[in-house]
Order: sequence, then C-alpha cells, then structure tokens
Amino acid sequence: MELRRIVIPNRLGLHARAAAKLVRLANTFRSSVQVSRCESPQRSADAKNILGLLLLAATQYTEIEIMTEGIDETAAIDALSRLIEEKFGEKE
Amino acid sequence: MANDEMTNGKRQTVSPQPKFSNEERLEGIGICPGIAIGTAFLVDDPRGRIIRVRLRESDVEKEIVRFRQAVEMAQQQLDAVYQRLRAALGEDQAYILEAHVLMLQDQSIGRQIEQFIRDNRANAEWAVREVSNRLLKVYAEITDEYMRARSSDLEDVSNRVITILSGTQPRSFTDFSEDAILVADDLLPSVAAEMNTERIHGFATNAGGWTSHTAIIARSLNIPAVAGLRRITSRIRSGETMIIDGHAGLVILRPAPDTLRFYLEQRTAEQQQAVYDLEERELPAITSDGQRVALRANIELTDEIEVVQRFNAAGIGLFRSEFLYAKAESGLPTEDEQYEVYKLLAETSGHEGAVIRTFDLGGDKLHLNGFKPERNPALGLRAIRLSFKVEEVFRTQLRAILRAAVYGKLKIVLPMISNLDELRHAKRTITELAQELHAKNIAHVANIEVGVMIEVPAAVLLAEYLAREADFFSLGTNDLTQYLIAVDRANEEVNHLFDSLHPGVLRAIKMVAEAAHQAKIPVTVCGEMASHPAEVIVLLGLGLCDLSMTPSAIPMIKRIIRGIDMQTAEQIARQALIFTTPAEVNNYIHKEMAKHWAHHSVATPDN
Repeated sequence: MELRRIVIPNRLGLHARAAAKLVRLANTFRSSVQVSRCESPQRSADAKNILGLLLLAATQYTEIEIMTEGIDETAAIDALSRLIEEKFGEKE
Repeated sequence: MANDEMTNGKRQTVSPQPKFSNEERLEGIGICPGIAIGTAFLVDDPRGRIIRVRLRESDVEKEIVRFRQAVEMAQQQLDAVYQRLRAALGEDQAYILEAHVLMLQDQSIGRQIEQFIRDNRANAEWAVREVSNRLLKVYAEITDEYMRARSSDLEDVSNRVITILSGTQPRSFTDFSEDAILVADDLLPSVAAEMNTERIHGFATNAGGWTSHTAIIARSLNIPAVAGLRRITSRIRSGETMIIDGHAGLVILRPAPDTLRFYLEQRTAEQQQAVYDLEERELPAITSDGQRVALRANIELTDEIEVVQRFNAAGIGLFRSEFLYAKAESGLPTEDEQYEVYKLLAETSGHEGAVIRTFDLGGDKLHLNGFKPERNPALGLRAIRLSFKVEEVFRTQLRAILRAAVYGKLKIVLPMISNLDELRHAKRTITELAQELHAKNIAHVANIEVGVMIEVPAAVLLAEYLAREADFFSLGTNDLTQYLIAVDRANEEVNHLFDSLHPGVLRAIKMVAEAAHQAKIPVTVCGEMASHPAEVIVLLGLGLCDLSMTPSAIPMIKRIIRGIDMQTAEQIARQALIFTTPAEVNNYIHKEMAKHWAHHSVATPDN
C-alpha cells in the first residue's frame, strides 16, 4: 500500500475537467486508488469513479491523501501525484 | 394591450389578437430579434413524467439488462456528440462532455441503481431518477458554488438515460421538419451541441433571460428567440404551428388565419429589408442637413464581430464583458484568456475602436464563495461595486485590457457609477496597474480613456461633476429608465410602466447631454432607445448623435437618420419635453413619425 499527501494546487480545484483527467489516469492502473480529504478522512472516494471525486469538493489548497494498493501501486501513486502537481495541465 | 400598442413604438409590428380562435399568446423576453413561423418541436424534459412500476420478481434481472443497454446507448450518443463538439470547438469546450461520459461509466452509481432495481423491484427509469436525486441532494450541500454547479451535469446525464429508457423520443435533432421551432424548458448545453441548426428557425423557452445559454446560442446563430415564457412547454404540443416575434418578445401559438397572414407579410418584408439593408451598407449615416451620426455596435461575444462588420458599424460602442463569464465553463476567465478576447476586439474594430464595459455582474452570477442571494439584486452588490469587492478579479480584467490596447483603440467604461469616489478609485487602480506593467516591462497602454456608464439617477444629478473627470459618458437608458421609474422590467405586474419616453426619463437624458456638451466630452447612447426609431429622433433632437445598438438595428436607424434634418428633430424633442405624461409624449411622437415617415409603418396595424 502506498500513501501520499498532496495539496490541490490549481485555481479551480478538483473540478469536472481535472476530475475527468484523474479518473482516466487512475483507470490505467490495476491497483485500487482511493482519495480522501486529510482533514476529514471519512470523506473518501474511489478515484476510478468521477461522481465520488466531485463530491469531495476539493477546492484549491485542499490537502488530500491518495492511497494506492495493488500490483502497480508505486507507479500509480507517482503518476497521479505528478498529474496533480502539474495542476492537471492547467495554467494556474 | 391595444392601448399599449398604440403608445409604445416597440410593439409596432404586433398584430391585433383575434377574438374567436384557438390562438394563444405568451409574452417573454425577446433575446434575438426577427420573426419565425414554423412547427413546434418540444424538446422533451423527461423528469416530469416517470412512471413507477413494481416489477415481477422474474423481470428484475431483465430490467437490469435494459438499464445497462440504455447506459451503453447513452455512451454512444455522448461519444458522438463529444467528437462533433471537439471538432467544432476544440478540446477545451468539449471537456464537459467528457465528464458526462465518465459519469455514465461511474460504477458506484451504476451499482447503486442496479441495487435499487433489485431491492424495490423498480423499473429502471424510477431507479435512475431516485438514485440521481439522492446524489443531487448531496451535491446541494457542497459549499463551493462552482463545484455545486456541476450537479447540472449529473442531471443532464441522468435525463439522457431516462429518455432512452422511456423510448418516447429519440434525442436526435436531425429528424425534425424543415421549419422547426424548438420549445424547451431551457436549452442544455449538450442538447444545443446536438442540434441540426440549419433546420431550426426559432427558440422558445420557459426559463432564461439575456444571459442564459439559450440567449447566447440564439444570438450567435442569429435565430429569433424568446425566453422567460415560463409555461410554454405546457401550452403547445409538437407539430402545432407557432410564431416567434423576437422583436416584441412574443410567442403566438396556433395562430388564427389573419394573424398568420400578418406575420407572413412581416417576415417577407423583413427578408426583403435584409437584402436592401446590406445594399445600403456603404451609405454614410448623416442627416439630410449634413449632421454626422455615429452608429456603433453593442456586442457580447467575439463571434459577433463578423456581424459588426457586415452592418458597417462605427466600431463597438459597448462590449458587455460579463458574457465572458456566462460562456466560460470553468469559472473566472484568466487574464490571458481575456487578453486574447480584448486583443481581437482591438484588432478588428478599426480606428473607431471598442469600448469595453468592465464586468456588470451581480454576486449571484459570479462563481465565488461567500455571496449570498440578495433580496434586492438590482440595488445590491453588482457591477462596479462587486468589482471593488473582488478587487483581484477587477485588476485582472483591467490588466488584460491595458495590455490588449496596444493592438488598437480600446476604451474602458465603468458600470453603475453612482458617485465621484468610485470613478476616482477605478482611475487610481488603472494608473497603479499601468505602473506595475511598466515596471515589469510588459507592453501596455497607460493613458487609456476611462468613461462612466450613466445609469443610476444619482449619476445624472452629478453628471456635471462626473463630466469633468471622465473621458466620456455611456448612457445606459435601460437601467436608467428602470431606476428612474423604479420599475422591474421582468415583473409583468409593473413592466407596462417601463417607458424610455417617460417625461422624467427625457429630462434626465437632457441633463446628461447638456453636462457632456458643456465639458466637451463625447456621450454615446447605448441602451435600447438607440435602436427604436421614435426614440432616436428625440435623442437626435437632444443633441445625442452617437448611438450604439444591436448591429442588426443599424440599417433601420440609418434610414431614419438619413430621412431627417436636425431642425425637425430638435423641434420634436423640444415639443416632447413640454408634455408631462408618458402617454402624451408617446402619442405626440408617434403622430410626428406617421407624418414624416409614413413608410416606416409606425401606425398601429388596426388602423
């Protein structure tokens, strides 16, 4: 199992387009991927499904925790963290 | 109503309502002018009529298969729409449909729906609605406004699945008749993207106003449209004949033969006029005694630049920048996004240039945290007040304008100014930003012209003083009339009182014109008055020879101007100012119009 904490850096937060990218990427891995809000860990979502992710309402500067578990868990967590750090490919 | 027609120049093309017929008339807000006659096509809103069925135990698994097939089909439809939209508008605009596709693929909601079918022996339509309603409730509790707004996407997707399940109407908009008029509760973006617009001649919707999706789509396609009809979807069935009068904001259902004939003639005249108008394109806008009048364009979207040029407008007199928000799916437009838009305006609006009005938004339209619905939005946190409150949004916009002004002639106009402090504060901010840009060595224009919108009564009374510090005035007659008479145009109990020829309004306009002339600053009239023949004559008579209007009105106004001399206009204005009731002013002006310009059919049709 891999765990990593990361702050949502982009201005619009984990909005529809960003969430769509995250879901697409998560689905390329075999590991399970969970995302939760650090300040309220009971709010957790399966990153392979978009509706739960959107319900996290992770706005800019929200700290989230990613948890991957499975055969490619390290590759998955690296790739997903990179996507978020790069602001989902958005300018700001 | 009949009385209204006689006294109000805006209603001149409306036919009298017959007494015995099936005809029905609904009034809304005309969001794109023109007349459309055609066959109603109701875009189904499946939410209203879902049947709940308790299935037999043996049918439950079949129902789950049916549900999965519907999802599969929705997926195919959305993929096709997504491809089309991406090809037409690019990745950035199409992404919202990608989110829709992912919602369909969402396994957790799929499982919940299947569970609901099993537990309740429910039919799939019921299950889809029930489960998505539950989710929508959760969404409603999200505090971030933008995130919360995504619930409309979920609704859009679940409606699509329900529609497929009910099998009532394929959502293929390629198979309607040649003369379809689209009737809907509101136009959803995904529906709009699917439409075969060549066959659509008009739009009529229950919801919406000037800033709705419907309005933006209708205007960019130049299709006659009326919104805000509230109950049209329950008043007409698909296949019935209907008429849209986008000028008057009127929809006529099942027109009587006389009404139909009247509008067919109107439409023919309009089409002939359109050809003729373009032929007159090159003629200058000068009165018969040689007074030049500037006819400029009011626009919301850069898509309209082509229309501005087609009608040979003298630049853009008013760019309503807040439509950048209405259009942006992803919230606030960035500085660079705005810069690109303003740069395009600067490059294409020639030596007359473009006047950009800074965001005229109310707190409810802006996707920011912390703004609660206001009890009285017209008097609330809107326009310049909101800009000062969210200063970074304002600064971002101003920076984008200052940078873009390098590419042509841009001016800034500030909406809802009610005192001198607001003007001074805005000008100071602009100076600061110019200094910052200078320090950073970023190309910009430092000495940009800054004007104020005169639309608040206090600004009229202070016009003399504002004129000393503003570079120009823009006279927003719609809001000014609303605030002077204290009447909400969207309220049908009182909107008959709205009248820009009201003696009080005319006196206010005269004050503004005099203050501007005294200080030798230009003043542009950019409300609807500038596009109504009778009102234009009064404006000219008051010395207001700079008008900005919806581009398609330019040919008609040019014809009026070319047919009048200033002396007559001044005489009419002077006389109009003697009257003390709105009815007297209106009657007088329409009589004068009929006398001098009989061919403009200002006479009421029942004459």
